[in-house]
Amino acid sequence: MEIMQFATYGLINGALYGMVALGLSLAYGIMGYLNVAQGHFIILGSYGTYWLFRLWGFDPFISIPILMVALFVLGAILYVAVYSWLLKFPVIDRLKSSLLISFGLMLVFENIAILLWTADERAVTTSYSGKVIDLYGLRLPYIGLGTIVLAIIVVIALHLFLNKTYFGKAIRATAQDWEASQLMGINVARTYLVSFALSILIAAPAASVISMRVISPGIGVEWSNYGLVLVILAGVGNINAILPAGFFLGLIEAMSVYLVGAPYMGMAGLVVFVLVLLFRPQGLFRGRAGL
Amino acid sequence: MRGDKKRLLIFLFIVAVLAFLPIYIKGDYILNVLFLLFLYIIISQGSNIMVGYAGLLNVGQAAFFGIGALVARLAWIGGTPFYLALLAGGLSSVVLSAFIGIPSLRLRGHYFAIGTLALAIIGRITIGNILPGVSFVPRQYLEGYSLLFRYYLALGLSAAVIVVVDRVFNSRLGLAILSTRDDEDAAQAIGINVFKYKMTAFALSSFVVGLGGGLFAFFYISYYYYVPFALLWSFEPILITFVGGAGTVAGPVLGSIFFVILKEAFTHTLGEISILIFGVVLILVILFLPGGLASIPKKLRWRQVKPVLQKEAEGGDSCSQ
Amino acid sequence: MLSVDHIDAYYGDLQVLWGVSLAVKEREVVSLVGANGAGKSTVLKAISGMLKPRKGKIEFQNVRLDRERPYKIVEMGICMVPEGKRLFPDMSVLENLEIGAYLSQARRVKEKSLEWVYEIFPRLKERTGQPARTLSGGEQQMLAIGRALMSLPKILLLDEITLGLSPLVVENIFEVIKQINESSGIAILLVEQNVVLALELAETGYIIENGRIVGQDNAKALLEDERVKDAYLGLPSGSGEAP
Repeated sequence: MEIMQFATYGLINGALYGMVALGLSLAYGIMGYLNVAQGHFIILGSYGTYWLFRLWGFDPFISIPILMVALFVLGAILYVAVYSWLLKFPVIDRLKSSLLISFGLMLVFENIAILLWTADERAVTTSYSGKVIDLYGLRLPYIGLGTIVLAIIVVIALHLFLNKTYFGKAIRATAQDWEASQLMGINVARTYLVSFALSILIAAPAASVISMRVISPGIGVEWSNYGLVLVILAGVGNINAILPAGFFLGLIEAMSVYLVGAPYMGMAGLVVFVLVLLFRPQGLFRGRAGL
Repeated sequence: MRGDKKRLLIFLFIVAVLAFLPIYIKGDYILNVLFLLFLYIIISQGSNIMVGYAGLLNVGQAAFFGIGALVARLAWIGGTPFYLALLAGGLSSVVLSAFIGIPSLRLRGHYFAIGTLALAIIGRITIGNILPGVSFVPRQYLEGYSLLFRYYLALGLSAAVIVVVDRVFNSRLGLAILSTRDDEDAAQAIGINVFKYKMTAFALSSFVVGLGGGLFAFFYISYYYYVPFALLWSFEPILITFVGGAGTVAGPVLGSIFFVILKEAFTHTLGEISILIFGVVLILVILFLPGGLASIPKKLRWRQVKPVLQKEAEGGDSCSQ
Repeated sequence: MLSVDHIDAYYGDLQVLWGVSLAVKEREVVSLVGANGAGKSTVLKAISGMLKPRKGKIEFQNVRLDRERPYKIVEMGICMVPEGKRLFPDMSVLENLEIGAYLSQARRVKEKSLEWVYEIFPRLKERTGQPARTLSGGEQQMLAIGRALMSLPKILLLDEITLGLSPLVVENIFEVIKQINESSGIAILLVEQNVVLALELAETGYIIENGRIVGQDNAKALLEDERVKDAYLGLPSGSGEAP
């Protein structure tokens, strides 16, 4: 029974890792950007949720739509101010440069956060924090269940958007061949802008959930790490496999905590990562690398 | 050979000046700042080997600095003579490089970047979990502590590292490594074992960085165990290398000087904001000055050559499409 | 309708076009021929907005093109079928065609356009759900042309569409192009290495060599021209002067 409990927590974590990784995978698949600062942007969103809660009593789940707008705007600003300049580089350099730039952004955001809100840890505690549904002795936290539901909704919504809407198809087309897309009348610059902003916006639910755990200026990098590892586990560019990969990682982590203890939790991900690189670098899941 | 001789003389001259400096300077402040400079030169050359020469982005250098510091510290406090402790630090860093290098260097660049980053982040978290406390120097070592000694040690090590980097990248080994940076597929096609050379560069870089970590551990009297693993030790050498000019021997040196001066200036005035500004500087450098400070003379020379090339092209014998 | 007026074009610092001029009238079929590397594709790139000429101008129905972004040029009614087809490999035939109708004015009549394209290229209808990369060379070329047609262009720019295709398929496609021009009045600007076919199809022909227009005439006349025969028709496919 205890192992089931750990597994449950693992799945919940996995859902969260997946939501974090989705934006990363999107940015990489469409533009070839590796955005190491994704975690920091999410934490910024989490601070937003925190203050909305502290000052005006907004429930974190309710503030997700507000967060989506805010993060979209943030993404658009970042794109125009910083990332759009990367397009003049050839594709190979783009990856390296985007990594370095997001590295720089990471430190900028972290220090802005420290200046504005100090380095203290914070968390949103709602009336239902810690409450669980008891299923034959298995404790299912309300927030955890909400996390999994959110993750599934986000993945489905993204899939529908990319495959059933014209703009979504335009995004996929641009990802596959941007020059040809231009020749179809697609405004590629605007498509990139929206895609990038979308990659940040899509982390809004994750930001909300994380605000109920713990937030501090520097913690974003840990989430970015999960995101990056998942992008590799799922297979680079394979968006559909992100959530399953997340569940997989979450479970493995949970098992390692069960067996070896909590201080070494991070190592599980690292070991899995190294093993995947050694034996299956194309990712654990089959499926076309491409949108 | 004239150019080489000239550079050697300048180099020796500067080293000599720095060696005689303590005789004329009173007080520890300058020595402390210079120590920091030497430390940064060492770890930035480490970063330079990777990103400048081997074309590999090691974003997780903090893990290597950290493990070098950790092993050296534990060894030294435990009674090992300092030079062996430093060596142990360097070697442990090399072992770590194999752990992440072997799986990832056979693949395309982003696997390596993500892998090293993951290593650094998880390393920091894990160390923070298992060794949350402060590392102190036992009393008997404190009594024998000499700043001057450490100053010369740092000066010697950084000079040695500069020489090594210069010599290696003018040798056959260096040429092979450079070829893997510029065009991996072409290098493979002429029979170069790309993986072997990338791993060699990585091991060399890690050794240098690990030594730097050991130097840190030997110098600072007390610090939290996780400090050498902090992400800043990944970020600052990269910043320095890019600002100074990656792929040149002088680049990290110039960058380090620039960096240490700014850092000293800022801590007295702006404090926290200094890191923020460095972040912005890195972004600007990547976007607009990829060659760093060292590329400025080259850029000026190109302006003179361009018109000549233009005239030739208009002669009509170009391959056009 | 479309006029290219003494344009100079560069790749970086390297000049590739010198004072190139050509014109396409409404409903006309024009061929631009020349050897490999002569600059034919570059001219189309300049027209479609992928490359900005440094000198000269390009006008379409009296509106200047050469300062515009590619997607705006498509909006005006100029659609290019690029060299190498450039299909979206992981999208299905249907999706590729749908993207062709991305422009809002084309999107509105998408269903009708789709029907039309399927009529012209029945093979595409058979393969409608398949990913584009699984099609044969000829089918891919048909898809590329069909995709361009979905944008309801006034003029179609065709860049080296015979590359890599068997002679039978090529003839087939050229037949179709002729039909499209005759039935729907879409003008065609054709860039080709296959000089004979290109000049047989066209009304007006231009010859380009090393980035300069060296011949311009009624297409039939060009086919008869001695110099043209010597340079391009005597030897196997399109060897002009070597660069």
